[in-house]
Amino acid sequence: MMKSAEVLRLEQVFKSFRATLRGGPPIQILEGIDLSLERSTSIAITGNSGSGKSTLLQISAGLMQCDSGRVWFEEQEISALGDDKLSQLRSHSMGFIFQNSLLLDDFTALENVQIPSMIAGKSEKQAKNLAMEMLTTVGMQDRLHHTSDQLSGGERQRVAIARALVNNPSVIFADEPTGSLDEQNASLVEDLLFSLVQQQQVALMLITHNYSFAQRCDVVYHLHDRKVEVSS
Amino acid sequence: MKQPLFALLVKRKLGFGANRAAKRRILFNLLLITLVVSALVFAQMFVVSMSKGIADKYALLGNGHLQVHTTEPVDFFPYSNVIDVQKVGQSYALIYSPSANKMVRLKGVGDSYFSELRSEQLTMGEPYVQSESNLPQILLSTTLASTLDVQIGDRVALMLVSQSSIRPQLCIVQNLYDSGYQELDANLVFSDYELMARLFQGKEETYYELLVEGDALEQTKRELKADGYAVTSWDEENYAVATNLNTSRQAVLGVMVAVAILCGYFISELSRELVEDDKYKIAMLTLLGATKRIIRRSYFSTVMVVTLVSVLLGTLLGMAFALNLSPLLSSIAARSIPSLAYYLLDFSIVIPWLDILIITLVLVGVSVISVLFSLRRVAMIEPISCAHFD
Repeated sequence: MMKSAEVLRLEQVFKSFRATLRGGPPIQILEGIDLSLERSTSIAITGNSGSGKSTLLQISAGLMQCDSGRVWFEEQEISALGDDKLSQLRSHSMGFIFQNSLLLDDFTALENVQIPSMIAGKSEKQAKNLAMEMLTTVGMQDRLHHTSDQLSGGERQRVAIARALVNNPSVIFADEPTGSLDEQNASLVEDLLFSLVQQQQVALMLITHNYSFAQRCDVVYHLHDRKVEVSS
Repeated sequence: MKQPLFALLVKRKLGFGANRAAKRRILFNLLLITLVVSALVFAQMFVVSMSKGIADKYALLGNGHLQVHTTEPVDFFPYSNVIDVQKVGQSYALIYSPSANKMVRLKGVGDSYFSELRSEQLTMGEPYVQSESNLPQILLSTTLASTLDVQIGDRVALMLVSQSSIRPQLCIVQNLYDSGYQELDANLVFSDYELMARLFQGKEETYYELLVEGDALEQTKRELKADGYAVTSWDEENYAVATNLNTSRQAVLGVMVAVAILCGYFISELSRELVEDDKYKIAMLTLLGATKRIIRRSYFSTVMVVTLVSVLLGTLLGMAFALNLSPLLSSIAARSIPSLAYYLLDFSIVIPWLDILIITLVLVGVSVISVLFSLRRVAMIEPISCAHFD
């Protein structure tokens, strides 16, 4: 069971993948992972490429099923939830930021940030106001009507941050959010992300290769040999 | 239902505020479906109108809508929907000109026979002005005149076949008519009813030809039969022709429906294409919390809007083409192109609403089913597939 302050808890999570399409022994990725994330705190997961960091994030966010173990999110066991419940949970309580900002290219920056609120059931006007407010917070008030291909990498990532935070979620899952940015933009995005996370009291689960970025989190876990250990 | 989100997704998929490629794709599919539907509607209208045109020729010039086989004088106008009654005699004769001969159906009719309704089915030449000759006059078709190589005012001989004797009767070609359909008029000769009665001396077949309004043929026929009259309808008198027309019409409708089914299936290709191209967007929307249901509905509505608009435009376009076809057909008919000689080209265009409804409903129905089927793949797109992790 979850403690009252916890928003996410992983208990004895195991995950393996098939080696090839033709079979063969499965490759174990995660082994007996225990992890918890409390409100208004941040954790970073570091590790080598292929160590299973992203798999761990996807299992935590209910995007992937684990082979065994339990994942609790806001006192609900994720694996027991149906599609609609999971959608609702993602809409109201989770925000995602990826390495590539993954904006919807048919839509403007404003619409990209507006859509999560509309999915959450807000009216078009309410969603628009919230999106404008959020984009102003991330300094994108002059780029409201620009589409993805009219924005720079750093600007796209700022829009992605605004989109992740617009519904005031409990947890932000960020997978290498600065991975594709130059040093200056990466630093700007890092600062923005941490200031907003603190400001909105959101929990953050950050996957990164960048150790200095990871160090800004409350706890840093290192994923090694299929297990997590608190980094010294 | 998150109506604003749904509306935004559909609007963007339809190309409003979207990039050029998305607009082009929607317009291309809209145009393609519109053209197919317009071709189907046009073809069906053409075939049905031609069939009806041929049927009208047979009914109005050949036998009337109904034939009441009696020689007694009867007032048929009290019966429902009867608009014209003519006492007619008919028999068969050999017609001779100096260069050719032919077996013809000789039809004796009264002065009022070529009413406005029947005259609309014919084009007539300038009638022969009576000379000193008191020979009986007959009306030939241009087709028959061409076969016999005679003109207005020429003399022909009718060899009347009766039980007692075979005797020739000289006649003058009083005028030439053209029904526009050679199958019918190639052997149909009109004469005066009194002349026919005199020549055949009661050996001819005498009956009343009735024209009835609209679709009341069966009702009037029932009423007449109920009163003990021997009644036949034009399709019974011309069974082979009527059956062929009916079969052709049904066969063509079947082909149109088959094409509509293929078109309906093609429409599902549009939804497949949209989903395939939007895999990442669908995954992203799912990741943001949109349900598969709302995503499927937005794609379904997009494709259905394209389909319904195309069907409507295609139907209107096909009807507009068909309704403006008469002048073109008339001008082709007037040129007497030999290779088109046996086709009816001069006919009024009718709108077969039921056939059009069947074709469009089948198309829409098949597209609904196939699009719903193809959109099952939306459920298979996992939200995780939008992200490219390390």
